[in-house]
Amino acid sequence: MTEPLLDVWDLTLRFGGVTALNGVSFTVGRGELFAVIGPNGAGKTSIFNCLNGVYRPQRGTITLAGQRVNGRSPATIAGMGVARTFQNLGLFEQLTLIENLMLGRHHLMRTGMLAGMAWWGRAKREEVDHRAACEEIVELLELEPYRRIPAGLLPYGVAKRAELGRALAMSPTLLLLDEPVAGMNVEETEDMARYLVEVRRELDLAMILVEHDTRLVMDLADRVLALDFGTPIAMGTPEEVQHDPKVVEAYLGGAA
Amino acid sequence: MSGARGTNRAQGKPHRNLVRSYEQDLRLFGSPMSKVGLGLMLATLLVLPTVVRDDFWLSVLIYSGITAIGAIGLNLLTGYCGQISLGHAFFIGAGAYAAAVVGGDLGLPLPVWLLASAAIGAVLGGLIGPFALRLRGHYLAIVTLGLIFIGEHLWRNLRDVTGGNNGTSVGAEATVGPVDLGALELAGENYSRNQGYFWLVWALVAIIALLAKNLVRTRPGRALRAVRDHDQAAEVIGVRAGRYKIGAFVVSSAIAAMAGALFGSYQQHVSPDDWTLLLSIQYIAIIIVGGLGTIFGAILGAIFVGALPALIDEYSSAIPGVATEAGGDGFISVFALNQAIFGLLIVLFLVFEPRGLAGIWFRVKAYFKAWPFSY
Repeated sequence: MTEPLLDVWDLTLRFGGVTALNGVSFTVGRGELFAVIGPNGAGKTSIFNCLNGVYRPQRGTITLAGQRVNGRSPATIAGMGVARTFQNLGLFEQLTLIENLMLGRHHLMRTGMLAGMAWWGRAKREEVDHRAACEEIVELLELEPYRRIPAGLLPYGVAKRAELGRALAMSPTLLLLDEPVAGMNVEETEDMARYLVEVRRELDLAMILVEHDTRLVMDLADRVLALDFGTPIAMGTPEEVQHDPKVVEAYLGGAA
Repeated sequence: MSGARGTNRAQGKPHRNLVRSYEQDLRLFGSPMSKVGLGLMLATLLVLPTVVRDDFWLSVLIYSGITAIGAIGLNLLTGYCGQISLGHAFFIGAGAYAAAVVGGDLGLPLPVWLLASAAIGAVLGGLIGPFALRLRGHYLAIVTLGLIFIGEHLWRNLRDVTGGNNGTSVGAEATVGPVDLGALELAGENYSRNQGYFWLVWALVAIIALLAKNLVRTRPGRALRAVRDHDQAAEVIGVRAGRYKIGAFVVSSAIAAMAGALFGSYQQHVSPDDWTLLLSIQYIAIIIVGGLGTIFGAILGAIFVGALPALIDEYSSAIPGVATEAGGDGFISVFALNQAIFGLLIVLFLVFEPRGLAGIWFRVKAYFKAWPFSY
């Protein structure tokens, strides 16, 4: 078996006396869609915050394609190919959609302040080249009508898609999706699922999905990790996890 | 949208507003209308001093231009990067003293003293910038407020450079090679010092505005705005927020120092009373009235705030209740009226038009673009 893309080993994160993550270990293979589920406060988003360097775990290691991830700054980790969307939208509200996508390509561009002021030469060339790359994502996610609209004015469903687009613009090898369909209606959820499937088919990348919508998870994920109070309680295919008594108990309480 | 797509010959040329390549899409003055506007603006700047020969109005416009440069600098820092600074006057003062030394004492020409003051401004900005890494919002404002007082102490006590309380004369002449903009002679025609300085200052406004516009529309400018809107999300997508915060301070202070150098050179004498907290607050007012986060707004705001007191001054005798001389009739002095109107404007703009004069301009433009439809 080839080496996994991401290897998380014994991750432990504490805030004072509260243990947010307790000995979480998992691997994600290349091109795999891995889902993390669990009740509110189970530590799903904390895993993401460790993966992209926002939190520093007290124990454990995170390795991406053989390189150590933990201990590095978020911006460095972004440069290593980890992209992310946020639970409550992390778009830059006053920038237009296309500018948001261009920001995704920030770490792939080189123009500095002086070169930017001069415009002619590299700055202009880079703007044109990376704009072309962003337009591919605009097309993939069908965002054409919204290019010049400030992100803060986008409808919620479109904003969620735009955020996915910004993450894709980073040309990541690992994409972290934090509740991509939270707050969406059935139709919007189906649309998002369709885009995720398409993204998987078109771009060769691994994804980790944190989601409350269990149907979406069961339909899309290759493997699922269930957490409760920061502790892993089950891992396996969607069917296995779905019928695991500990998972049922965590979601529905002891009586079930 | 691809640039390779040809046009149908049978149908003639594509519409003039049709964008056919990304390069075209990125032009600053893309549409025919904006090209006309640019031409008109440049023509106005060229012709104006030969029409308005009055020294009073020329000097008002020169001061407005110098202020516009400083305001562009502050808008990069506050409007684009979201870092509130009350220390802008400090960098303007530092630039003026740098010009006094390099242009006056050493007698070097205009490009040298202008760039030297920019360099000193950049270094000072680089020293202050790191404070922005740990502080934000009001806390940063307080730290930069401290800068004003440290500056005031320095200006009053470094007598060799600043001349202490009495100030120092600034001998930086506006000379480029054999050309002296202070006494311009072109094709047998003599131009006054004010006319020469008008062209110099407004040419620099145009250049710096262009550089700043380019900065904000490319990678570093997007990063600045990303840091302003959401600095943690910026880090997560690979923008090193700290680097851009410091960078914004460096660029903003360099531009402020250039404005100070021009101010000193034009006024020929500067004293510590020129760089008080009031000047910093005035600059903040300018970018609020003009429009935060727009280059054009900084210029509009500077003209507005620069010209308003002059207008009130000029026509104060026609306004009832204004005392035009000490001990004269009326309940309010010209100076007090100026301050009152100034304060009122800030309040009105913040409440009714937070996007400032630039916002009004964009609204008017959008209206005519869509005319005769309302949307």
